[in-house]
Formats: sequence, C-alpha cells, structure tokens
Amino acid sequence: MSGPRSGSTVGRVRALVRKEMRQLFRDPKTKRIIFVSPIIQLLLFGYAVNTDVRQVPTQVVDHDRTAVSRSLVEAMTASDYFRVVGTSDDPGTIGEALDRGDAVVGLRIPPGFAADVAGGRTGRVQILVDGSNSNTATVAQGYAQRIVNRFAQRTAEDRRLLPTGGIELRARAWFNPSLESRVYNVPAVCGVIVLLMSLLLTAMGVVREREMGTLDQLLVSPLAPRELMLGKTLPVAAIALVQLGIVIAVALLWFGIPLRGSVLLLLAASALFILAGLSVGLLISTVSRTQQEAFLTMFLFILPAIILSGFLYPIETMPEIFQTLTLANPLRHYLEVVRGVFLKGAGSTDLLVQLGVLGSMAVGGLLTASWRFRRMLG
Amino acid sequence: MTGSPSPATTVASAAAPHSDAPPVRVRELTRRFGDFVAVDAVSFSVDRGEIFGFLGPNGAGKTTTIKMLTGLLSPSAGEGWVAGLDIRHERPAIRQRIGYMSQKFSLYPDLTVGENIELFAGLYGVAGDALDIRRAWILEMAELGDDVRRLTGALPLGFKQRLALGTAVIHEPPILFLDEPTSGVDPVARRRFWDLIDGFAAAGRTIFVSTHYMEEAEYCHRLALMNRGRLIALDTPRGLREAEGLRAAGTPGTHPSSGLPSLEDVFVALVQREGGARSG
Amino acid sequence: MIHPTRLRAMARKEWIQLRRDPRSMVLAFALPLLLLVFFGYAITWDVENIEIALVDHDRTPTTRQLVVALEASRLFRVTHRPDSEQAADRLLTRGDVKGALVIPAGFTADLLGQRTAPLQLLVDGSDANTATIALNYAEAIVGRFGRNVVLRGRTLRLPVEPEVRIWYNPTLASRNMIVPGLIAVIMSIIAAMLTALTIAREWERGTMEQLASTPVSRLEVVLGKLLPYLLIGLFDVAVTVAAGMVLFDTPLNGSVIELAVLTLLFLTGALGLGIFISAAVKSQVLATQIAMVATYLPAVLLSGFLFDIASMPPFLQGVTYLIPARYFVTVTRGIFLKGVGLEVLWPQALFMAVFAVVGLGLATRVFRKELSA
Repeated sequence: MSGPRSGSTVGRVRALVRKEMRQLFRDPKTKRIIFVSPIIQLLLFGYAVNTDVRQVPTQVVDHDRTAVSRSLVEAMTASDYFRVVGTSDDPGTIGEALDRGDAVVGLRIPPGFAADVAGGRTGRVQILVDGSNSNTATVAQGYAQRIVNRFAQRTAEDRRLLPTGGIELRARAWFNPSLESRVYNVPAVCGVIVLLMSLLLTAMGVVREREMGTLDQLLVSPLAPRELMLGKTLPVAAIALVQLGIVIAVALLWFGIPLRGSVLLLLAASALFILAGLSVGLLISTVSRTQQEAFLTMFLFILPAIILSGFLYPIETMPEIFQTLTLANPLRHYLEVVRGVFLKGAGSTDLLVQLGVLGSMAVGGLLTASWRFRRMLG
Repeated sequence: MTGSPSPATTVASAAAPHSDAPPVRVRELTRRFGDFVAVDAVSFSVDRGEIFGFLGPNGAGKTTTIKMLTGLLSPSAGEGWVAGLDIRHERPAIRQRIGYMSQKFSLYPDLTVGENIELFAGLYGVAGDALDIRRAWILEMAELGDDVRRLTGALPLGFKQRLALGTAVIHEPPILFLDEPTSGVDPVARRRFWDLIDGFAAAGRTIFVSTHYMEEAEYCHRLALMNRGRLIALDTPRGLREAEGLRAAGTPGTHPSSGLPSLEDVFVALVQREGGARSG
Repeated sequence: MIHPTRLRAMARKEWIQLRRDPRSMVLAFALPLLLLVFFGYAITWDVENIEIALVDHDRTPTTRQLVVALEASRLFRVTHRPDSEQAADRLLTRGDVKGALVIPAGFTADLLGQRTAPLQLLVDGSDANTATIALNYAEAIVGRFGRNVVLRGRTLRLPVEPEVRIWYNPTLASRNMIVPGLIAVIMSIIAAMLTALTIAREWERGTMEQLASTPVSRLEVVLGKLLPYLLIGLFDVAVTVAAGMVLFDTPLNGSVIELAVLTLLFLTGALGLGIFISAAVKSQVLATQIAMVATYLPAVLLSGFLFDIASMPPFLQGVTYLIPARYFVTVTRGIFLKGVGLEVLWPQALFMAVFAVVGLGLATRVFRKELSA
C-alpha cells in the first residue's frame, strides 16, 4: 500500500453530489424551501401580479334622471369594467370618494342631458378619473371613452344623424384573446422563481461551507476547484429543473395557462438559463464571507435584474440606457423564450437569438465563476 | 494500548514518494495580507516520523503557515516542499499525500457518521474493500462502535474530534497537519487523542501540529516557537528548557530554585523578550 | 422607566456599529437611491410607439390617410410592410412587431359607398395591458376617421360626448404613481433588513445577554435600537421626496409635516416588527429572510404600490388589509398627489398607530421573555 491512491474526477464529484443531496433532503426546512415555497410564491405572485383593469369602483352622480341617462349608466356598468359603488345627487360625493380612494372613476351626468340629446345638441358626460395609479387610470379612461363613444354612435344611428356605413374595426388579440394579464405574467413568474432559488441555493451553499470551515476540509483533499464547483452546482441545477417542472405544472393545471410550444425547447432554454443563474450565485459566493453578506449581495443583484427584465414593466418604454442594460440580463432573454413558447408556440428558429445569448451567458458565466473560484481558493 | 492491535499499527509502512526528502521543508516562507506580515521569512525542516509542534500566541502566524503548507493559501515569498513536492506548483499531488484537521470542527454536522466517512472516502478515492477496512478502523479508533447512522452534529466533542482525525487519515497519508486539533476538548479526551497521534508517529507518519496547550507541547519531538510571524526558537522541549535555564542562571533572582524552568515559563520569557504578543 | 443617559448610550452604540458596517450603510443610504432610479426611470406603462406591420391590399389615398392618422397619434408606428397576412403572422410570432393592421382590397370603395368597411387589427395580446390600451385608442382613432370620410367634410355634432378629466396626475405619468409608493417600499426594506441585521447579530454574538445584565430596561433597549433607524428612515424619506421632486417633478401637494408624522408612525411599527422577528429567531440569516418575506414582498406586491388591489381575487384582497404598507401607500399617494391630509387619511393613520403599538409591544415583550427566561 505504498504511494498515494488516486481517485477519478467522476468518483470525487459523485461523492460530493451525494453529500449535497443528503444535506438538502435531510433538513425538513430545506425540503420545504425547495418544494413548497415555489408553489406558494407562484400562487401569491400569480394572483397579485395582475395589471388587468376590471370592476373599477365608480361613483355615479346623475342629475338628469331620465331614461337616456339611466341607459348610459347601464351601458357603463353592463361591462365588466366598471362597478358602481355609490349613487348620489350631490356632485361633491365624487370628489370625496376619489379623495378617500373609495372610487377611482366618477361619472357625472349634468341636468338637461336627455334634453340636449333629444334636441340635437351635444350632451356632455363628465368622466373624472383618479390618475394616481396611472396604469388603471389610462385603461379605465380608455374603456369609459369607448363605451360612451359607442353609446353616442348608436344614438346617432338611431336618430339617423349619421349616414350608414363606416369602418368596422375587427380587432383580435393574438396569443391571449381574452387579454388576461395572468397569461403573460404567470409563465414569467416561473422564470423568476427558478432564478431566485438557484441563486439562493448556490450562493448560500458555498458560503455556508466557508463559514463552517468545511470548505477548507474539502480543499485540502484532491478535489480540484473545478470539481468542487461541479459538485456544488449539479445538484442545484437538478433541483432547479425539478422546481421548474413543479411551477409549470401549477401554471398549467391551476392557472390554466396554455402551453402552446415545445416542452423540450423550454427545458433546453431553462437549462441554459439555470446555468447562467448558477454562475451568478457562484460569483456572489466568491465575494461574500458570510451567508448574511451573500444574501444582501443577492438582493442587490436580483432587484435590478427583475426590474430590467420586462417581467412587470415593458422594456420598449424604458429610456434608451436602461433598454441597453436589459441586454446584459439573462432573465430578459429567458422571459422572451418562456413567453414565446407558452403564449405564441414559438419554435427554436423564432428564438434562435435568445437561445444563443443564453448559451453564451451560461458558458461565459461558468468560465468567469470558475476563474474567480480558483482565485478565491488559491 | 490494550491487547488488541493498536489502530495505528494498521497504517504502518506509509511511505513518502521521495523518501529521501524531508516530509516538510520551508525556506524564507512569507505571507503578507496587505501591509500586515502574517508569516515573516520562516525556515525549518521536519523529519520523517517526527511530531513537530508549532507553538505561539494567537495571531503568531501558526495557522497561516499550515494553510500555506496544505495549499489553502499561496505564499507571498519564499519556498516550501511537502513530501518533496513544491507547495506552489504541485498542490494537486500534495493533496493526496497529506491529511488535514483544523481547529474548527469541520465535518458536516447534518450528515451521519457513515455519510461523512463515505464523503471523504469518495474524495480521496478510497473505495471497495479498502473503504470497508478503513471505515471499521475509524469507528474503532473513534470508539463509535458500529453506529454509523448517528448524526455527526449530535456526537460529544471528543468523539467528533476523533472522527475528524479518522476521516483526515482515511487515505493513509504519510504527513498529517493538525491545526489546534484539541481546542475545547476536555483533558481526558485530549490525552486519548495524543495517544493516537503517538501511534501514528510510531508507524512512520510525520505529524505537524499547532497548539497553545503547554502540556501538549511536551508530547512533541521538536517545538517551533512563533511570535509575530517570526520563528523565535526551534528545539526539543528539553533543549528549550535547558537553554532558558542556562540563561536564567545568569540572571540572579529569576529562577531561585534548582531544576529547569517549565515550558510555559520558557514560552512567556521568549515572547516577552521579543516584545510581546501581537494584538488581534 | 426611560433614562436619557442610558438611552443615549444605546442609540450611540447602535449608530457607531452601523457606521462601521459597509453593507448596512449601503442598505441605509445607497439602496433608496438605487430603487428610486430603477423604479423611477425604468418603469413606465406609458404606451406609445407600438410597432406594427401594415398589410395594405387596397393602396388608395384614403388608406394612406388612415395610416397617417394612426401614426399621428404617436401610439403606433408602422415599421414593416409585408405583402401578405402570413408574413405579418410570422413577424408577430417572432415578436418583431406588436401588431398588424390588415386593410382588405375594396376597403375604400366600401367606405365611400356607405357600406361597412371591415378593417382587421391584430395585436400581440401576450402583454395584455399594452394590448388593451392600444385597442381602446385604435378604436377611437379609426372610428373618428371613418366618420369623417363618410360625412365627406360635413361636421356632425355627436349626441353624446365624454369629457374626461384626470385628477391628481393629469399627465398620467407612471412616475407620479411610483415615487410616492416607493417611499412605503423603501421604509419597509430599511425597517426589515436593518433591524434583522443588527439585532439578530447581538443575539448571535451574545452581546444581548451582556446588555441584559446592565441596568438598561427592555424598553430602553428597544427604543435605543429604534432611534437610529427612525432617523435613517426619515433621512431616506427626505432624500426620496427631494429626489422625486427634483428628478421626476413629482408634485407634493399635501403637507410635509403630516407626511413626516405618518412616516414615523409607519416606521415605528415596521421597526418594531423587525425587532420582534430578529429577537424571535436570533439568527441573522433567518431573520433577514423572514423579514424580506414578511415585509418587503407584501410591500411591493400587496400594497397597491404597483398592482391594483381591486383587481385581485377576493381572498388576496382580504389579505391586503393585514399589510401595513397598504395603508401607508394610500397615505403617501394621498399626501403627494391628492393633497389631502389627516381629515381624509385618519382611518389609515389610526391603523398605522395600532400597528406601531403592536409592533413596539411585540418587540418589548419578546425581549422580556427571552432575557428573563
């Protein structure tokens, strides 16, 4: 038995992977974090992240009280868009309701409205919108105008004020005919959750070993830095893929989001994305001495990463410099793939650019991480 | 040792690859952290089968030196060889030939005893029958019986320490680095631990151990005293005490009684002459 | 009893530790600005310049005028002119355009002949929000255009006309919505992270027991911890308000003093909650994570900061009543944009006062329990 024994890379990595898995699955708390928290996050985000404007609380002041004015109010509330929360004769109630936030829209029909309409004059309807939530206000304003305009059109046609004909706009929303924001947001939430989890598990996993002193014990062994990196990241990558499967299942079965494209393409892109995310986690672990520092650094990374991804906020309307910044964000490219595959049934030729970028980010990220890792350990 | 074969005897005949070279040798080894010189041009050499003690106050540079020898830190200057291999350029080859156990208990508390053993066996390429033999040996040595399913974190500290020692030598390395291996352990467990170390040395292994327990220093064949990053004395325990005794004899009133000063007195006197321990 | 000397000593110690910890300093001072810049500059829902493909099978002066009318709204911009619907489909699927307008052959003849002239508009509905706004505008523009062509230059007074007035934020700028709401988010982060960091740290290092062995009372410990962060919080609000006004022209229509008082109220509750969490779990890592989940996420998602509470499912709407940030967002928007004060916001103020008392109470209680045990 003289001379050193020599194991193989495969053997060493396998030993490390087995150890990681055992640690991850021994602790019930960790198990919960891995498997239950993505579901809870998806449910929470899936319901909360919602830019649909429906059932806007509306305060109505009808000074006219005629059949015409009532039918206008009727036209407003018959849609799913407005919900009357109060009716009054007092014009001041609109201001109060908007000030208190009880209503977002005020509808005021002036006295003599029906007479104006009947007499060939123009009946003016006041629509007061609380602009403090600019998104809701924009959409609500658009709906209200549309409803009143249609009402006007119909009235004009009934009274033969208009020649027949005109343009009929046949609008169709592709990929999401009922225009629900959930269909757009839920697949993206899946991507964000997987990024969060893979960052958390890698960064914390490495830093915890350093805090505990077990990292040194591994480093004096024949385990090469590259093997250590592999042993640390393979289990996380596998878990992240499983998590992705879970959240996608919830998205399909619970939220009823359609998956129109190829699952295989989604998996391939996800694998690249997870690798890119892991390498960021590894990089964070090389600049953090404690789990606390790692967590904060992660937070500082994830915040701009989410804002600059097109997850919640459209990229096209950002200032030029932020649009450019989004190009360096793996989440941006991944979300384009996820949304493309889910909603549009896009294929690999449609997403070639995104896949290429994700692939190079994964490779570049891992190379950088392994370089930093070697330097940190050396 | 009892009638059953001593655990150490099963690891006999651990030979270094370059058996003519000293197991550990450093020349002008230096490590700086910014402006701070943690280890300052230290030179020494350790013989095969020797228990080489590294003594010094906190912050003297003991741990930094061990980290350089085990490849956890790169030297800023100077050279060093472990098992005849260059510590700068031949780290991978060195790793297979050394065992390391640090002051921080560094097995995984959330793995069982058996799982920890398997992990390090896997890392060092110990498999098959060899693994079975080594596992049985570690369990016996650590007096853990055959209960491999216990969570390591739940073991008493003395047992943890011996288990850590066992996994550190699972690949039967010819050279063993121990960085304050017994800190926090009660005197009885510490005594047992040193019996094991003695056995390893008797079987031809080289032990490089740092400590700040004076009674442990007595177990060492030779002692290197570190202070403020410098090596201030290197001799056998007896040699150090005799030298200090001679010196003290020349200074009236210091050691009125006959006999040699204790190692602790030697240590304190040497450090004070050097200008006190470094804070931090 | 609160003793001023001891309280001052506690607060000073806290301040010194904070100053020496670079990451806490980043959290306290750089993070608010970072958030302001990212949220303030990068987030706009202001829909304009939607890129569309035009398939014109008719090619008459009228169809050209229609396109001019659409582009004049600055809402749409024709970037591609493919020959066929199939080509337009591909552009949509690849995401090169967000919409396609298809003008069938004979469109002009139908329109001038007073028949119904169909016009097809396909929009990429995946971003439902943008699509909805685009469709609403498109219908208005196209309808008006059609009427004008049909009337051949005659003017028509429509029998009913909407008169829309936008209150509080007449330009409907997203920034005006985001800056006030951001104050609530920033306060939540400061409160959660800093307390989790510093107080759990005392437990981890064992210095809390040390403090407990001195004559310092529980309330003094809690208040001493609270004061530096209250000051930081107020400072951050001041910076955010000033930056919002200078960088984003966000109006501050209400009273600064009321804003400061209500901010203090919210912050006291949030800090109390943070202290409670970190004292209860005693681990920095765990405390930070719980604090994030318990305060920051709800402040972003469930407070009405970005997403309308009215559009959430009833269950989630119920949950928002338990989120202090919900009330605080109403307060900041009310003071900033609506220019209202306590006469309107008293229910929110009342709730935040309850929250502050509960937060402080929980914090002091957990201290008493942990330290006298």
